[in-house]
Amino acid sequence: MGREAMERRAWGWVAHLRDGGTTPWAAWAGEADRTGRFLPGAQQLELLRRLNVSGLADLDLRRRTDLVERVLTASAPGRGRPDLELVGAVPPVTYGPQPVDPADLSADELLRVATNLLAEDLVAAGVPPVAAPRFNRPWRPFEVAGVPWLAMPVADEMTRRGRRPGGKGVTGFLLATDMATMIELAFVARSFDQGGAAWRDWSASAAAGHRLPPRADLAPMLAAWVKGIGADRVRLVLDLDQLPRLLGTRRPFAPPPVPSADATDLARRVSAPLGLLVLPAERAELLRRRLLPRLLDHPGPPSRLDDDQVAWAREQGERLRRTVAGAAYEVVGSPDRLVPPRRRPPGGEVDDDRVLRLAARLLLEGGAR
Amino acid sequence: MRRVYLHVGTPKTGTSYVQDLLFRNRERLADAGVRYPAEHPDDHFRAALDLMRLPWGGLEAEATGAWDRLATEVCGHDGPSIISHEILATASRSQVGRALESLGHATGDAGGEVHVVLSVRDLSRQIPAEWQENVKHRRTFTYAEFLAEIRDPERASRLATWFWGVQEVPAILDRWANDLPPEHVHLVTVPPRGGPPDELWRRFSRAFGLDDVELDLETSRANPSLGVPEISLLRRINQATNRHLAPAAYRPLVRELIAHQTLSERTDSPRLGLPPELRAWAGELEQAWADEVVARGYDVVGDLDDLVSERSGAPGEWADPDRARQRHVAAAALDTIQAVLLDSARLRDETERLRTELHDARVALERAYLRPTYRARAKVVRGLESGAPGRAVMRGYRALRGRSSRSA
Repeated sequence: MGREAMERRAWGWVAHLRDGGTTPWAAWAGEADRTGRFLPGAQQLELLRRLNVSGLADLDLRRRTDLVERVLTASAPGRGRPDLELVGAVPPVTYGPQPVDPADLSADELLRVATNLLAEDLVAAGVPPVAAPRFNRPWRPFEVAGVPWLAMPVADEMTRRGRRPGGKGVTGFLLATDMATMIELAFVARSFDQGGAAWRDWSASAAAGHRLPPRADLAPMLAAWVKGIGADRVRLVLDLDQLPRLLGTRRPFAPPPVPSADATDLARRVSAPLGLLVLPAERAELLRRRLLPRLLDHPGPPSRLDDDQVAWAREQGERLRRTVAGAAYEVVGSPDRLVPPRRRPPGGEVDDDRVLRLAARLLLEGGAR
Repeated sequence: MRRVYLHVGTPKTGTSYVQDLLFRNRERLADAGVRYPAEHPDDHFRAALDLMRLPWGGLEAEATGAWDRLATEVCGHDGPSIISHEILATASRSQVGRALESLGHATGDAGGEVHVVLSVRDLSRQIPAEWQENVKHRRTFTYAEFLAEIRDPERASRLATWFWGVQEVPAILDRWANDLPPEHVHLVTVPPRGGPPDELWRRFSRAFGLDDVELDLETSRANPSLGVPEISLLRRINQATNRHLAPAAYRPLVRELIAHQTLSERTDSPRLGLPPELRAWAGELEQAWADEVVARGYDVVGDLDDLVSERSGAPGEWADPDRARQRHVAAAALDTIQAVLLDSARLRDETERLRTELHDARVALERAYLRPTYRARAKVVRGLESGAPGRAVMRGYRALRGRSSRSA
């Protein structure tokens, strides 16, 4: 096949995908005229094919066209493999990355493109405001702190109820739970804040180095609060059922949202390109207030420590229990709650293909809004 | 007529020198009708990060919107403009499309003309230089590990992807010059070491169309290379200090003080090259690239032989940085210790000077507090603050005096 015929076949596949086609490249035989300055990369084309498989054709024409164009002109941000040529669409060359069959591309490669588009969707949607009454109801001033993933939803809910945290002479309520869960929630909070390493590497590195992640390291948090406002105004809350009574509100709080392992991994991946579009504070707000609710619509088992790591978490929990037992501040709930049980429910393993399907669903939902 | 010279790489081809020279001469250039649109030396770097959505140690947060601002400035200038940053070499085709469109090329704007400039050097100088640059950015992998990664045919690692992304000349030109006329694509070759000092600038000057513009060629910014024992020492320093030294301290202390100001002064050390067994491999690649450039008919500024190490005379005696002579490394380490001690002594003097200054200021402040007029005023304020009417008077007084007179 000559160069021109090879190119015409590739442009034919582009046209097929634009029309909602799902035929893999290897099985494609049609031809079409060139319709762009350059042939989109194999990653972009294969992602479009996967979106078509997931139901892109069901969107209305304007939204479908918009998403198709965004996919075809997207670049995978950051460092990584460049846009690749389709094997059989270009004559053999002695330089550049080798052309590929897009069906062979890993989900990880396609996710680089998809998360870039999801980040753009988040920026376009903006941070939703927390619905709060205009005036703060007068109440004893308080702050909710401790494990961020436990504390943030409570602070948001109190704001919605007209009791914004802060003010002069606050009492500090530091929320905590068993050490294994605190470590797992620290990873979730990190993923929805700044991204970073994947669960497996992150948890292995923390356990191997015997270093508690800062978001689960309660002892320095407690010390800082005691130093700041005095032990008599610090409460360590281990029995979270007591929290409404402590904060002077009747209605109970919903348990903290825990996204699935796949959903957390997707948030972690989206945070990287999102960090290139907005400042860190806005990134965290977009991930937590805009992306998280959508991810919670796709539930699944969360990431959990393995047995060895739980044994390490139990040691850390024991150590913290001893620190807490002799402290001057009030502890609500038994300090034994800091020590995780030996047997815990099984967690979920991240699967790149499932994460890609989740990303595709979110892209389609975004296009449908 | 509007004309944009877009210098897109490659790294380690004198780009820091050229960019500094253009930045420092931007007013002279403006007088000659040439725009180098930058208020800060990093403006084009930030624009490139923005265009390519590239994370770069947090700097990317300052880059949002930088490319569009740069493009707007360039498009608003009726005459030649220059944009230069070497990381643009790794831009993808769609990013290149966006860049060219924003500069008026893809819209078929009759008033605009885009020229792509690519500076190139043979691989036997580029490969060692890239490893050295990695080590100067805290990396700890050995030279052998680096070579193995970039020679992996899969090019799967980030290291290999980046290296070939910014160094593979025909692939860079495929992306950047795909639909430009060949006469608008200028390949500047870097002359070998030991040539006339201004030769590199003369070549850039020709590519940018600046031959008639008189510029001040003095520049302070360069990215000097290190010898084999020096780079070996730096890698070991990284291994020993990476876990302890904060990223913000690395740049001024290790990269600037140790590498650039101290170790690069040791010019008698053997220079890093390619291992003899890889020279044929590199030579074949270089020759294939040079043939491709000739076949495409680009404007070559300089000698195309400088792209082929066999003819550029680059390979010297091989010294392995993974097995550098301990005696030479120790000598480099002594120079480093001396530099760090001198800097430390300078900082101690500075700390002492500031401590004395602070003490003097405190004494002066105490003296001011002890003046009878101050004590009288303080008494009046205390008296007023003790009752509600007096506090109202003070509020009114402070409102009239303005914010600066309010108590902290």
